[in-house]
Amino acid sequence: MDENTLTIDGEFGIYRVAELKPQILAHVIDIDEPALALGNVTEIDAAGLQLLLFARREAANLGKRLRIGSASPAVEEVLHVAGLSAEALEEAVP
Amino acid sequence: MNEYEQAQQTFFEESRDMLRQIEDALLALESNTHDDETLNGLFRAAHTIKGSAGLFGFDRIGSFTHEVETVLDRLRAGEIALNGDLAALLLESGDHIGHLLAETADGSDQPETDAAGAALKSRLLAWCPSPGIGKVAVSTPSAPAVASPERPWHIAVDFGPSIFRDGMDPLSFIRYLGTKGDVIGVTTRIDAMPAADAFDPEVCHLGFDILLEAQCTKADLTAVFDFVKDDCELRITAPDAEVERWIGVLQGMPAHGKRIGEMLVNCGAVTQHELTRALSTQQDTDGVAPPIGALLVAQNSVPDQVLQVAVTRQRDQRTEESRFIRVQADKLDSLITLVGELVIAGAGANLLARRAGEPRLLESTQVITDLVEEIRNGALQMRMVQIGETFNRFRRVVRDVSRELGKEIDLEISGADTELDKSVVEKIADPLMHLVRNAMDHGIEMPDVRTARGKAPGGLMRLNAFHDSGSIVIEVIDDGRGLDRDRILQKAWERGQVPANTELPDDEVFDLIFTAGFSTAEKVTSLSGRGVGMDVVRRNIEALRGTVKLSSRPGEGTVVSIRLPLTLAIIDGFLVSVGPASYVVPLDMVVECIELPENTPNGASYLNLRGEVLPFLRLRDVFGIEAPPPVHHNVVVVRNGTSHAGLVVDRLMGEFQTVIKPLGKLFRNLQGIGGSTILGTGEVALILDVQALIDSATRNAARQDGTTTREHTAESAFGDAATSSTEN
Amino acid sequence: MAKTIMVVDDSASLRQVVAIALKGAGYDVVEGSDGKDALTKLDGRKIHLIVSDVNMPNMDGISFVKAVKANPNYKFTPVVMLTTENQEGKMMEGKAAGAKAWIVKPFKPPELLDAVSRLVLP
Repeated sequence: MDENTLTIDGEFGIYRVAELKPQILAHVIDIDEPALALGNVTEIDAAGLQLLLFARREAANLGKRLRIGSASPAVEEVLHVAGLSAEALEEAVP
Repeated sequence: MNEYEQAQQTFFEESRDMLRQIEDALLALESNTHDDETLNGLFRAAHTIKGSAGLFGFDRIGSFTHEVETVLDRLRAGEIALNGDLAALLLESGDHIGHLLAETADGSDQPETDAAGAALKSRLLAWCPSPGIGKVAVSTPSAPAVASPERPWHIAVDFGPSIFRDGMDPLSFIRYLGTKGDVIGVTTRIDAMPAADAFDPEVCHLGFDILLEAQCTKADLTAVFDFVKDDCELRITAPDAEVERWIGVLQGMPAHGKRIGEMLVNCGAVTQHELTRALSTQQDTDGVAPPIGALLVAQNSVPDQVLQVAVTRQRDQRTEESRFIRVQADKLDSLITLVGELVIAGAGANLLARRAGEPRLLESTQVITDLVEEIRNGALQMRMVQIGETFNRFRRVVRDVSRELGKEIDLEISGADTELDKSVVEKIADPLMHLVRNAMDHGIEMPDVRTARGKAPGGLMRLNAFHDSGSIVIEVIDDGRGLDRDRILQKAWERGQVPANTELPDDEVFDLIFTAGFSTAEKVTSLSGRGVGMDVVRRNIEALRGTVKLSSRPGEGTVVSIRLPLTLAIIDGFLVSVGPASYVVPLDMVVECIELPENTPNGASYLNLRGEVLPFLRLRDVFGIEAPPPVHHNVVVVRNGTSHAGLVVDRLMGEFQTVIKPLGKLFRNLQGIGGSTILGTGEVALILDVQALIDSATRNAARQDGTTTREHTAESAFGDAATSSTEN
Repeated sequence: MAKTIMVVDDSASLRQVVAIALKGAGYDVVEGSDGKDALTKLDGRKIHLIVSDVNMPNMDGISFVKAVKANPNYKFTPVVMLTTENQEGKMMEGKAAGAKAWIVKPFKPPELLDAVSRLVLP
């Protein structure tokens, strides 16, 4: 993983979103081509999903695209339930 | 074991074979993943199980196998590749189908198995991208762009801020919806999410638009969100078909004394929770509060068109209310019983007056008799209800069943204002249900078959009612393939019901369908075609003193006509006697009375009535009366619908009104007798079952006509039946 | 990975029936015989849902929920309370403590599974 990628491991849910928000926000602001590696996320819930959507919106507000470098099955499943996919998430916000 | 059970056994054996094939194929593919034929066989095996399961109505098996089939289809198309994970998942899914098969075979469905199935299903779904969703914009607040021809339920839900902290995961409700139906589209909304600084990630700002295809009610869907009902904004938009159903229910609903909100809740359009919310809004409003209906529409709880139907219905009912009073049914029943007794007592007084020969007494009893007749008619009229409400119930049935069968079927109702006795109406609903389902299942063809035959792809069911000679006729009409006369006859030959290679007229062939265990259905479906039913239909109708007949044209459709008496309580009768016994013929069925020609031979079973063949029966023979015959016999010509017959009796005693007393259990199976009554003299007279007698006379005459060599006399036709109580 | 549900009730037979149903549906189950016992069983492990009785010896359901909600590792765990119909007051108390979902006793295993699966699928 390069320094342009923020890796999130393990749980990505309500218990950790408070801790992760500043990290993710800082990453999106500081990095020109921000990317998230979610391949090792074991569990993710709607709070995690909301934080992802937040990160995407913030990136778009700065004229950037947020890349999803990798997505674990748990992440894929949650995106699927929410009517999304990693690819859809990467697309520019209209 | 009947045919259906045998077929089920075959299905189970076949499916177990298929599962073995699936397992073998998966194991083979793990070593050689690009074998097209094996992949194809794999897909086919799942497809076969799904198809047969659907045919038997084993929906648990069918719906789960459908998911497996979808994944296999992608595998076959090369869209996904078989790896260890997928192979393991598919093997597990195969085992699960095996469990479902075993449980279905034993009739021991376990809810745990269903939950395990739901878990497998969500894993399988991960291998199938949901169609058209990938491109949906996250922040689009309008309905998702995915359009479905079925017009699914649209559920818009905005979760409250505290949801996450309460431990609720909004996504789990969507997953749960997926176990209740097909989630065909989801859009996640974040419109409410504040700016970065103000955004607290533990506070929920999510909203979802969900498109769901499911057979359920609005209340079912609302119940899914019960746990969070105070912490979410829920707006459910029903499919058109469901809205139509609400309207149908509203139109059939007695609106007496009901409020608009209550009516909307009762028909399913509005949930109690939504009503409570609108009511509290109404209370909190300062000044003039808006009407509850307007509030419900404003909070998106009900479409305006449904509200308008309820409002109209309430207004109509208010004007009707001033013209109607509600009476308890049992009060009316006891009035009718009393009127019945009055009729009998009046007949007794009349008889005494006639014997006394006092003209003034005769005159006054005649006036009383006329008045009693008017009271009787009036009392019976009070129990008359329109058949329309019963017919309307079939709108939902036709809609649901046609969807289930994949057919497009419309229902047309005519004669809805035809009236008949309430007690008859209640008992006819079940036989009608069976006939309608039967017609949709077997009569009306699939759209492609219809198109190929040059018909409109959509089928048409019709329910019709009208009055005809003292009866009500109810018709169930379809424009389907019609009855296959030759097949029915063939089957009857095979079953030995009709001597092999004996031809029968069309109506007698069609009549065979009503015998127990008779079915010519090529495909057995979950709805009908198991060879039970049509005999029960006939028995139910006959228990109401009614008859049922079929007519059909190949390729054009079938008409089932049910003929029922207007009331079960009182009839106008025509009294006749044979020796010491008195019999009553329902007056509506009497055409004329003639004298039996003296030259009629003793064994004859038909006579020449102005150039037409009239089959006849001697009641003396039918009921085994041994009193010496009179010099002159009379013939009462009776008809029911289009069939005629003559009944030979000793004396004609004239018209009178009579109350039908049901026969005791012991006599209920007696053929040719429909009931009994008490004469003014206190004697008992039997009421004749004219249709049964006509049928018997017609059969005798046909046999004597010489088509068969066997000898038949009138005696054997009923002499046997009258003593047989096992016949029905 | 299977989701873990903790079942807390002083009736061993109720726990058993519920555990059988939940395990059959694909969940992992941890049992607690009362609030106090349940707290010791938490033991740092991941719990996705708690199903708890109200009336129990040693520590009742309401106190148990309060303790769970005060524990930073478990404060966001959803709790389903088992109640009888006439416990309206307890229900309000439980809701205030943080148990948002309720199932009315007596219930059948399928009803419990149905309710649980709205919150967490196996």
